[in-house]
Amino acid sequence: MRRIQNEKLKVQNSKKGSFLSPFKAIKFLFQKPRTFLFPFQQRDASKRYRGFHLNDWEKCTGCGNCADICPNQAITMVKIPEIKPKPGEKNERPQIDYGRCCFCGLCVDICPPGSLRLSRDYIHIDHATDSFVYLPKDEKTDKEHFFSEDEYSIFKANLSHRKENFEGFVSDLEYTLFEPQRVPMKEVPPEERKLSFIEQVLGYNREEARKEAERCLECKLCEEACPAHLKISDYIKAIYEGKEEESLRKIFEDNPIPSICGRICMAHCEKACSLGRRGEPLAIRWLKRYTADSIKDYKKALEQKPAPPTGKKVAVIGAGPSGLSVAYFLRLKGHSVTVFDSLSGGGGMMRIGPPLYRLPIEAIDKDVNYIASLGVEFRFNTTVGKDVMFEDILKEYDAVYLGIGTTISRSTKVKNSEKCIPALLFLRENKIGKGFKVGKEIIVIGGGNVAMDVARTALRLQHMQYPGEKVVTKTVSLEDWDIMPAREDEIEDAKKEGVQFNPGWGPKEVVLDENGNIKGLLCMKVKSVFDEKGRFAPTFYEDKEMFLEGDMIIEAIGQAPDFSFIPEELFKKLEFTERRKVKVDENGMTTIPKVFAGGDIVNINLDAVTAIADAKVAAEGIHKFLTQKP
Amino acid sequence: MDKELKRRIEEIYKDTEVEFPEANRMVLKTKKENLLPILEFLKREGFRQLKAISCVDWIEEGEFELVYLLSSLNTPLHIMVKVRVGRESPEIETIMKIFENAQVYEREIHELFGVKFRGNPDLSPLFLENWQNLPPFRKDFDTREYVKEKFEQIPFVEEKK
Amino acid sequence: MRELELFFGPQHPGMVGNFSITLKVEGDRILEAIPNPGYLHRGFEKLMELRNWIQNFPMVCRINVIEPDSMEAVYAMAVESLANIEVPERAKYIRTIVLELARLASHLFGAWAYANMLGFDTPAQWAMADRDHILDLFEELTGGRVYHIYILPGGVRRDLPDGFEEKVMHFLHALSQKLPDYNETFFENRIFYERAKNIGKIEKEEAIEWGATGQVLRATGVKYDIRKVEPYLVYDKVEFDIPTREDGDAYSRILVIRDEMLESAKIIMQCIEKMPKGKVYERLPNPFKWKIPKGETYVRVESSRGELGLYMVSNGGNTPYRVHFRTPSFNHGLFILPRLLKGASIADVGNIMISLYVVAPEIDR
Repeated sequence: MRRIQNEKLKVQNSKKGSFLSPFKAIKFLFQKPRTFLFPFQQRDASKRYRGFHLNDWEKCTGCGNCADICPNQAITMVKIPEIKPKPGEKNERPQIDYGRCCFCGLCVDICPPGSLRLSRDYIHIDHATDSFVYLPKDEKTDKEHFFSEDEYSIFKANLSHRKENFEGFVSDLEYTLFEPQRVPMKEVPPEERKLSFIEQVLGYNREEARKEAERCLECKLCEEACPAHLKISDYIKAIYEGKEEESLRKIFEDNPIPSICGRICMAHCEKACSLGRRGEPLAIRWLKRYTADSIKDYKKALEQKPAPPTGKKVAVIGAGPSGLSVAYFLRLKGHSVTVFDSLSGGGGMMRIGPPLYRLPIEAIDKDVNYIASLGVEFRFNTTVGKDVMFEDILKEYDAVYLGIGTTISRSTKVKNSEKCIPALLFLRENKIGKGFKVGKEIIVIGGGNVAMDVARTALRLQHMQYPGEKVVTKTVSLEDWDIMPAREDEIEDAKKEGVQFNPGWGPKEVVLDENGNIKGLLCMKVKSVFDEKGRFAPTFYEDKEMFLEGDMIIEAIGQAPDFSFIPEELFKKLEFTERRKVKVDENGMTTIPKVFAGGDIVNINLDAVTAIADAKVAAEGIHKFLTQKP
Repeated sequence: MDKELKRRIEEIYKDTEVEFPEANRMVLKTKKENLLPILEFLKREGFRQLKAISCVDWIEEGEFELVYLLSSLNTPLHIMVKVRVGRESPEIETIMKIFENAQVYEREIHELFGVKFRGNPDLSPLFLENWQNLPPFRKDFDTREYVKEKFEQIPFVEEKK
Repeated sequence: MRELELFFGPQHPGMVGNFSITLKVEGDRILEAIPNPGYLHRGFEKLMELRNWIQNFPMVCRINVIEPDSMEAVYAMAVESLANIEVPERAKYIRTIVLELARLASHLFGAWAYANMLGFDTPAQWAMADRDHILDLFEELTGGRVYHIYILPGGVRRDLPDGFEEKVMHFLHALSQKLPDYNETFFENRIFYERAKNIGKIEKEEAIEWGATGQVLRATGVKYDIRKVEPYLVYDKVEFDIPTREDGDAYSRILVIRDEMLESAKIIMQCIEKMPKGKVYERLPNPFKWKIPKGETYVRVESSRGELGLYMVSNGGNTPYRVHFRTPSFNHGLFILPRLLKGASIADVGNIMISLYVVAPEIDR
């Protein structure tokens, strides 16, 4: 190394030269040559070589980001009918045209699950040009084209004769072209929020929303997973460009209640998001909430006008998510709509179900007031079957939509269960009624989202009514951790606030003391919850028992619909499916003519966005029914 | 020294804007008629090397913008002189009298954009042969349409959105 | 004697790539030389207007086949200057090492071309074999031998693999031991001296007027190197010298190239010693949505042939609005070459052309 630094430039004396200089080259005869005799001697490519592609078909989701970024458009997504995709994935796989590929590796750096890689194979010799268009697989799914070290021969090297375990350029999470981290959402910390009903999530401001919206790769897997097929990537792009009104318009094409959904939606889209494979999924629900909150006056921003009046009248029973959506879609088509609901405001189960720390009343009223401003008539405090009869509605209106939801709490029906409090009564009195006095040790039976709502509400009431004293709320559920139906973030939040869980135990008997007040709950260990056909049929170990102390028990094990308002002879005509849901055809019409249905009484997902999807189908069906009369 | 230069240029040549957008870079915007006097002035100041001539097609404003890149051996400052020419029949005087090697750059711009340089002895095509279409680097020349018409035997890959 | 028109075509072994010259000769003397480029015109500047900022970066390295890294570096620097992105410290050192290794490879390639054309086959093959060592090093670092696609805006694409620094030092040590052989057989060979002395002579004032840069200018006695005039990356933190000569003919130019190879080796060794630890990549925004605000910029880099510059204009969109590469071979090959060929003999056409270090893909882009 010294020699390089001290090398002097000795050109001036070059004219002399030496007689022996040419002979100096002979010493190269005895040195190892730089070349080697291919194919008898071989040299493997380096560890990061960029050769032919490999794709793991089990990890690949068919999102198509590789096809979008290729600068030469060498990748096309091809439908493979043999693959049965999970919800939120597509049955397409990338196909690469090696006449166009330049082996740059951008497709590897943007692949969100990291399934597409480049290998160290680079030789392909063939007469047929079609063989250069190739569906890459790898040794896991394609055993017949990948060979081990001893069976592989360089003389047969080809796209159908490749070496296994021969990866080259792979994806690395630090150097990807997408951002795996989400912009964190500010929340009220658990110690503070369990003392009151303050709204937990504080929402994004403009900068954070824009930064989060920038992460979206526009692969549209979320649009496939959403039951209502909202145009998610379009409205997120509008948020990124700073056009909140455009974003609201895109949402309102399919979903008229963004303020509600932006707070309580189950977010099937986020489970399907590409970025969630190896990072955190895009915060689609919070971005919808940002759009809904950032616009104060929907009417001015949207400027929607109903079509000219058609003269037809539609009655909607129930002002829940499906009822509100049907009213909105039909009103825009020009029909005259009347909505009946027994509560004092709109929202249906949304009004009484999710507590104030998840869904404040103002958010519900903002959406309902906009729908009312379009010309929909709301008749609150009107119970069908008492204040107005179902047969009269059928006679007066041209079509009826049942969005009645599930309003009756189920009971475990164990001994002394009549002393327990139904969940819906508890939540309703707390949210819009007179309040509830709670005990110091509360047991909540159930493991679903309603049970989490009940448990966290009970905890807050305990802290508010017994400040400084020792209070506890416990839950008991048949389901163990792995199949607990509540949403994961709800369970996490409940744990952080101090709710104690007892998964895998079933209620046997409510134990009373000598005065007839509740002393506790006797539970037995669960053996299994579902039978081999997947139906709900729990079995227990009769000998393993546990006693939980408590002075108040709330049952949150499910809800059932209330069909009591339908008269006998009509009810006999109503058909149900084998899962005890109302049967509807592809237009949303039940087996009673002129009567349509949707929402929790029809679908099995039991959430708001599937209700909106049902409402859209029914709205189209009602419109066809009303306008196609001869 | 740069500010001194700016002051002198703005004093002598009216309708000229001088800016320093980054370190060691000066941008001079001027009218077509002032081009030759300004370039002569700059050459006397020591900016003796013409690095390149570039052209930008501002189709919405209906103008071509010619950019002359000059540099000097004594200072790291690098000057860009910009003039605008109308898009309908673009013509401008050549600067070969001041910088000899402008001849090749002007020949390239004439072929690719269609700008005429009066006084340049050789404006024959440089890269393309028997070209009948629009000058290809203009914004209204669509490369995909051209490929579709000329090479029918190559299967066309649709534009991805 | 009569005048003949010879077509010194693109497939000639003494030609630098696909480039042709029409010669008007009388006997052995050339009266006029008309260069005829365009065999490698791929229309990069127009194609780059249709692709994103990130999709462009695998395209940029294909403009100059011999030294693709300086093209990548200049594109990355232009995008960083328009979008105000900061590059981490360690990435700057790695970029410097890559650029200097590319300069070494390119100079060895030039030595191969020159020696081969003149008939010195032995040192030509040595030079090519040494360049192959460098290409092996690049394969280990970036995954490709010729087109590296490694320097992108925001840093470099991956970190150094294990054991890379030792391999580089080992290579430089081996190269330094071969230099006396190169000197004896090629650079200080009497026959080469006679062949190259006083051929293609340029005066100092002529070189400045004609816009020459790189070693064409340095061989006439002007000490001008962009790495010293406007230091970019870490060139202000390492010590190196700028070799010059006085005569301005082909022999001086090739000696300037030889001395530059030694300086490059010095720079690489200093960079390896001083390199800090840290991250090498600053994550860029989403490539499908990234928009750069309006503006324009001109960045320049000292490539192995002269000053390589990029003038880039952005209109606030997803794609560049105008991209113009100022390549040194355009000036040297189309303007200086015909003036030097006037009055030379036919045997010296290849001699002059390769000593000016012109490559065809850079002229046509």
